[in-house]
Amino acid sequence: VRVLALLLVLGGVAHAADEFELPPITRTVFDNGLRVVVAEQRELPLVGFYLLIGAGAAQDPAGDEGLAALTAATLTRGTVEHSAEELAEKIESLGGSLQASAGTDGTVVVGEFLAKDYVAGLDLLRQVMREPALESDEVRRAREEQEAEIVAALERPATIADVCFAGFLYGAHPYGRPVTGHVGSVTTLKRDDVYNFYARFYRPNNAILVLVGRVEPQEAIDRLRQAFGTWEARPDAIPSRAGAPASVPRRRILLVDKPNATQAQIRLGNVAMERANPDYLAATVGNTILGGGFTSRLIEELRVKRSLTYGAWSQFVARLTGGDFQLGTFTKNETTVETLGVTFDVLDGFRKAPPQAKELEKARAYLRGQFALKLERPEDLAARLADVEFYGLPADELATYRGRVAAVTSDQVEAVVRRYMAASDAVAVVVVGKADDIRVPLEVKYGPIVMTPAESCWTLYGPGDYPAL
Amino acid sequence: VLCRSIVLVAVLVAARGSLAAVELAVGAHTLSNGLRVLLHEDHSAPVVASYIFYRSGSRNEQRGQTGIAHLFEHMMFNGGRRFGPGAFDDLIEGNGGSTNGFTTRDLTAYLNKFPSDALPLVLDLESDRMASLAITQQNLEQERGIVMEERRLRIDNEVTGAMDEALYLHAFVESPYRWNPVGFMADLRRITLAEAKAYFHTYYAPNNAILVLAGDFESEAALALVRRHSGKIPRREPPPPVTAAEPPQEGVRRIEVLKEAELAAVLVGYQGVRAPAADRPVLDVVEQILGGGESSRLFLDLVRGHEVASGVDANNAWGIDPDLFAIYAKARPGKTAADLEQRIDQVTGRLGSARVSSEELTKAKNQLRAHFVRSLKTVSGKANQLGYCEVVFGDHRALLGLEDGWEAVEAADVERVVAAYLRPDRRTVIALVPPSRVEDRS
Repeated sequence: VRVLALLLVLGGVAHAADEFELPPITRTVFDNGLRVVVAEQRELPLVGFYLLIGAGAAQDPAGDEGLAALTAATLTRGTVEHSAEELAEKIESLGGSLQASAGTDGTVVVGEFLAKDYVAGLDLLRQVMREPALESDEVRRAREEQEAEIVAALERPATIADVCFAGFLYGAHPYGRPVTGHVGSVTTLKRDDVYNFYARFYRPNNAILVLVGRVEPQEAIDRLRQAFGTWEARPDAIPSRAGAPASVPRRRILLVDKPNATQAQIRLGNVAMERANPDYLAATVGNTILGGGFTSRLIEELRVKRSLTYGAWSQFVARLTGGDFQLGTFTKNETTVETLGVTFDVLDGFRKAPPQAKELEKARAYLRGQFALKLERPEDLAARLADVEFYGLPADELATYRGRVAAVTSDQVEAVVRRYMAASDAVAVVVVGKADDIRVPLEVKYGPIVMTPAESCWTLYGPGDYPAL
Repeated sequence: VLCRSIVLVAVLVAARGSLAAVELAVGAHTLSNGLRVLLHEDHSAPVVASYIFYRSGSRNEQRGQTGIAHLFEHMMFNGGRRFGPGAFDDLIEGNGGSTNGFTTRDLTAYLNKFPSDALPLVLDLESDRMASLAITQQNLEQERGIVMEERRLRIDNEVTGAMDEALYLHAFVESPYRWNPVGFMADLRRITLAEAKAYFHTYYAPNNAILVLAGDFESEAALALVRRHSGKIPRREPPPPVTAAEPPQEGVRRIEVLKEAELAAVLVGYQGVRAPAADRPVLDVVEQILGGGESSRLFLDLVRGHEVASGVDANNAWGIDPDLFAIYAKARPGKTAADLEQRIDQVTGRLGSARVSSEELTKAKNQLRAHFVRSLKTVSGKANQLGYCEVVFGDHRALLGLEDGWEAVEAADVERVVAAYLRPDRRTVIALVPPSRVEDRS
């Protein structure tokens, strides 16, 4: 195996193993602008729908944070034809599923039905997308559940760390806001707000529809055209978007107090790149060496050598107009400062020393080998196909992935590491833990820090909002 | 120990689920050293999933050594006689694979997902650690610290994890299911090297293991490879059987978990049945009727009707020994665990006293069938399910009988089983009471 991989790199010829066989894929665009992708995957008696709307929490109006999430949550609670309870009954009687959830740049509606029921499932998807009732009482219910969800998130230290990190890094940029909004913003949301968000953004010219499963592609496209061909476009459906976020110029540390915690959650990083950036692939290879899988430098130093943690990782969160590179781990209170220091050292060491040939070879083999496994489930393939459309990636992105990974060089990785993985003296750091144990040692080692209660991470939108920054 | 044989047995099962149209052809073999081998060919992608199940989980542990099965799972990645420390992960990932393990009350499993050409290497690595794991003080100390962090993550700093641990501790008195597989912190601190070595010797024998391969390989060649790598590992004395049996619960056990939390919650457990028991499929149907989705009875009553809960769930846990049927509900702001409990009692009471409609019964069966199909989406899912059934049901063919089991459930069974098992006078109630809201109790 290793010999073949080596030949591949030297010769630059695609070995048979790199010609990954995707299921047959058909792409088309309807007259109303709806982009449609059908993949015929026959192994399982299932059909999955993946409908991506190009508007999410980043499109929440100021003061109405959480509106995209509320709109998504209300969408599946009844249509012109069926009440919320009837709709749930219909879907579940088929053993199917149909759910909508908002993300930052987009909203995803996913459904899955047994292949024999897919025509019925498709009609339910059509109703939900084109004829949702969005009744006041259902908006109220969804709103109250969203408020409960926001409150419940405060019980999960890892979630607090993620929300606080996004706010502390991105500040007022929309990528810094939690998708759920905060209790104050959600409480005042009304039926009209939901309707207006839906009516503007849930339009075919702002949507991508992917269908994966045991179907005849042409028949499926005819059915999709029947269901969505007359869906009306709207010129202003495609939102204007915030530009690239600004990076953090120098290190700043936020400590969020959890007085009863016995373990601290740590996140750190800086602004990095958008998904369509040509450097993304080399960045993925570099990230695999630093913090992907079970043999990364972070795992080796934090977990294997020092038993400081059970988990340590790094990742590029690459969105439409920008993104971040972040590292995460957790450890008992007593070793929080030590763990942060080792994490800094690993990051800085990676920036200074290029990856060794062996590390690079392993990362490339890992990414290439895992690729087929990560496309096995229909919903995973659907999500990757939708990404290609949404981020404007080349149409052969998936078909050529393995070959392109194999061709990533050490020089490329070294360059993206230096450029996109900020050094430890220029990162935003969030620690969620017991301040009585952590604060003093943290300040002794790293100087002044900022403290804020966990719930305020949901409402602080700019650097100026943080105390003593 | 189940399904052991000293003669080589090869059975080919090609069964067909009655309605969901799932086919799963499995070759089953038992090597002369007792290693059970299950092979399922699936050539739809050039990938393979391998699982090794050991018939040893936290139910096989003794008091004072809780968590050793899981601690041991971690130690299995640190090298054997031929492949030294770090080599296992390095070689798997360096050949495009990923690797992991998990421990439950019933079993410990090791899985690898990899491109099909790495199969010989994976089988070599697995046999090395089964035959000759390096069990050193350094290895033990390393994993001890890591596992303690895992416990802090999953139980000590996670309210649902803490509630789940409390439920099993109080719903069972004698059954070894009572402790969480992660173990108690005090035991994790003190488990010795001698105990770890004894554990390996007792449980990590070929005659206590099942190797499952699913994916892109030729069965005959794969079996020859397995035999070459693992066929000579000597069999050992079968591990001692687990004899502890849980006495019937008389009365209600009620525990208040005082833990920092934003919302109250309740977790109610009823003693259930063994996975192979005749009433298990009925309890599965009950699980769906009560908690399967937004048209389920608990959702309609607690979330939509009375608006006391923000979320509900029902779960009929499967086990070698009788496990629990559990109902979970999370309160809305301002609602208490008592509010939730009252509604749960109403809903379960109604289900035990009036017959379900055929539509509701059919819906529950369709949902179970759909979950079943979804669990088989990947080669990893298939291998996992086959091995699980071999361990817990004593026969992998139980997998293809699951659908028939659900199909046979009738409305009268539901009524009878709810009345027999979901008894308000024989249950354990774990109430999460956030300390700042202790006054709400009165």
